[in-house]
Amino acid sequence: MNHATWPARVILIVISAVIVWTVIAAQRGKKLFIRRIPGLTAIDEAVGRAVEMGRGILLSSGLGGIDVVTLQALAICTNIASAAARYGTKVQMPIYEAALLPIAEDAIGSAYNKAGRGDAFSSDDVRYLSNQQFAYAAGVAGMIQREQYAATFLFGTFFAESLIMAENANMVGAIQVAGTPSTTQIPFFIASCDYVIIGDEYYAATAYLTRQPTLLGSMIGQDRVKIGILVVVMLGFLLTLAKLPLVKNLFEDKDMPVASYYTPDKGGK
Amino acid sequence: MFQAQHGAALYTHLAGAAVVSVILFFALTLVPTKLRRPLIMGVTFASGLFYALEFFWPVSGPEGDQNNFLTAYIKPFSDITTVLQSFALGLGVYSLVSIHMRKIARSQSGWAYSLVLVVCMVVMVIAHIGKEYIKAPWVHQLNEFAYSGLMKSLDATMFSIIAFYIVSAAYRAFRIRSTEATILLVSAAIIMLGQVAIGQAITNGIPNEGLTANLRVENLANWILKKVNSPAIMAIDFGLGVGGLATALRLWLSLERGSYFEEEL
Repeated sequence: MNHATWPARVILIVISAVIVWTVIAAQRGKKLFIRRIPGLTAIDEAVGRAVEMGRGILLSSGLGGIDVVTLQALAICTNIASAAARYGTKVQMPIYEAALLPIAEDAIGSAYNKAGRGDAFSSDDVRYLSNQQFAYAAGVAGMIQREQYAATFLFGTFFAESLIMAENANMVGAIQVAGTPSTTQIPFFIASCDYVIIGDEYYAATAYLTRQPTLLGSMIGQDRVKIGILVVVMLGFLLTLAKLPLVKNLFEDKDMPVASYYTPDKGGK
Repeated sequence: MFQAQHGAALYTHLAGAAVVSVILFFALTLVPTKLRRPLIMGVTFASGLFYALEFFWPVSGPEGDQNNFLTAYIKPFSDITTVLQSFALGLGVYSLVSIHMRKIARSQSGWAYSLVLVVCMVVMVIAHIGKEYIKAPWVHQLNEFAYSGLMKSLDATMFSIIAFYIVSAAYRAFRIRSTEATILLVSAAIIMLGQVAIGQAITNGIPNEGLTANLRVENLANWILKKVNSPAIMAIDFGLGVGGLATALRLWLSLERGSYFEEEL
């Protein structure tokens, strides 16, 4: 089993404390600003287009199980479903992981209720396809070709099937918005989709869409942590140049792979 | 922690587990609506706390086998997750079958495809489970045909289609007349040429030593991959790591109630 080393303990606790503290500050009414993110603004555009065309919307949460990435995808999809339901546009969501089915059904159903269109929700619209990668891809491709969706949203963990789904949606002329933390799939989405949400924009999506103080606080907390880490990296870079031992001492820990890499006397480079 | 059981003891344990599960499910249905939310929050927090404590608690023992007082419980915990997920598979199969059976019953458009799906599903289940319990050779042949002969080949077919989709997606991306598309095109061309012998042959005349070696196509390709691509990917991963941690914290501490519980904390 992997266990925390002392530097990891300190760093993780400090990072967590900063994020939670910012969330609490935001909940207490602190005003927070986030910049415009084009990929996320495109979500409204895509939903609007589907409404105008009178065709449906496809949501996919990718091949992930019940993990942070998929739950974030589900949170984004819930917001999209709510916006689509408000205008009476049909939303369909094929599921890869069976364990996610009841959660997704409940979340999308709640989104319809939130939009005041609970009667329009059908549990058939959130359907399990397969837990085989290419069987799922084939199933989604079939749904896209049959339903001729006006917009597709691909959020979550994706592998090689990403291009099959995105290219089929392109064939039917759907506007596509994708977001994934799977860095190997980002180039494929960039080549085939209209808008792509990359990096931590993926985790900023719910904050951007809902403007809830909790989520905004979390996002600002993340940014503060990143700034802090960047400052430490720059400091480490300068101190290493100056051959001061602070960085060596900081990373002097046998359990951290980065230590052996950055500490020359331990066989690093 | 838990020993594997066999024979009568196995069935006793199974019956015991079933009774406890039924009692637990029944008790959960009796929980007042007002208490359901705190219950879910409490279970989420306790489950997360277990893994957090196991990770952070100081460890002891020989190098490579260090553990703390919670490490022994990790496997039973992950086994529970596996069991719960297995139950969920039943829900998935029910969803799939009900949708397609309804389509067949109502003779909706494309009902024949639904029939094929249901028949294939039944055949695959019989063949795959049957090979474990039925000695008759036809069951093994059926499994071999359905799984190795059909499903694996269909999987490979879907995978191979990606080659064509890559070409069409790349063509569309390169056709766009913008600075970004031009950079993408030039980088892709250099990387492709740098990976194949015919590309490397183009700059083979340039000496592989000294400053001019940087102009060889394979060195240019390596430079793009190592000095441009890798740092960019690392930067994305860096942001994702912090974002993932923040989302995990929100879920663990039930701070993100807006998305799943319809209202803000």
